[in-house]
Amino acid sequence: MVDVVMGTDPTASLVARKLLDVQALRHDAIAANIANAETPGYKRVDLDPDFDAQLKDAVQKHDRQAIKNLTPTIVEDRSAKAVRPDGNTVVLEKELMIDNQTAVNYDFLDQYLSMHIQQMQQAARSN
Amino acid sequence: MNIIPSLQTTGDALNAERIRMDVIAQNIANAQTTRDVNGKAYQRKVVSFEAVMNDATKAARGSGNGGGDNNESQANLKTVRVSGVTADTSPGERVYNPASPDADKTGYVEMPNVKMAQEMVDLITSSRAYEANLTVAKNGKAMADSALRMARDQ
Repeated sequence: MVDVVMGTDPTASLVARKLLDVQALRHDAIAANIANAETPGYKRVDLDPDFDAQLKDAVQKHDRQAIKNLTPTIVEDRSAKAVRPDGNTVVLEKELMIDNQTAVNYDFLDQYLSMHIQQMQQAARSN
Repeated sequence: MNIIPSLQTTGDALNAERIRMDVIAQNIANAQTTRDVNGKAYQRKVVSFEAVMNDATKAARGSGNGGGDNNESQANLKTVRVSGVTADTSPGERVYNPASPDADKTGYVEMPNVKMAQEMVDLITSSRAYEANLTVAKNGKAMADSALRMARDQ
């Protein structure tokens, strides 16, 4: 998901900011899943799978307004299969892996944005 | 303002798992109790969980788009709480022990329906779930830390 910011696109910092929100939101979703790992009948939630495609589409079209307007949402994960007789679809190990991955993604985007701010400050100072 | 919103959910889950572990401890402690407060053998207690909407979710569903950021996005997040502690009414083992004050006329004593292996398995499951929630809390804190660092270092 974070690969969108790796190019030299001028919208990259905007996308990075948006993705930072996305990682924070995904962390909330995973927290809810792990909290309900033992709740009978609970269905796991995750980011709306369409969001990634919409973002990539907006980036390719260099449409800054579309990127700004994109709102990530949390929806029930319909692709997840029940792994237990009580109908709960949470797999604890998988959730922990996703959460760690989310934390690393967040760190990366954070450093990227810090770098970006530093560059702008340097540019402002050099005058 | 909520810097780490996931902490409410995680805190609720830690609380619920803690209650479950307390009840398992009670079951194990009373594995040999032949006289409960009602005069009969102790019956093992079972904790059940249910998913409930948290404050952010309620706000998102109630007020639509108004209020804080990320409101609408969080409409499907649910936290967890203990829905009840119920007694397992399955019969316990009957043991012949006429010397016991709780023996019936035929000399049999009804023992509690606590099975030690099952309680241990439940205890380990609960403690693993507790650890998983702690990991989430740690990750949430690390993320908030790094966001604050971004503002501080400039």
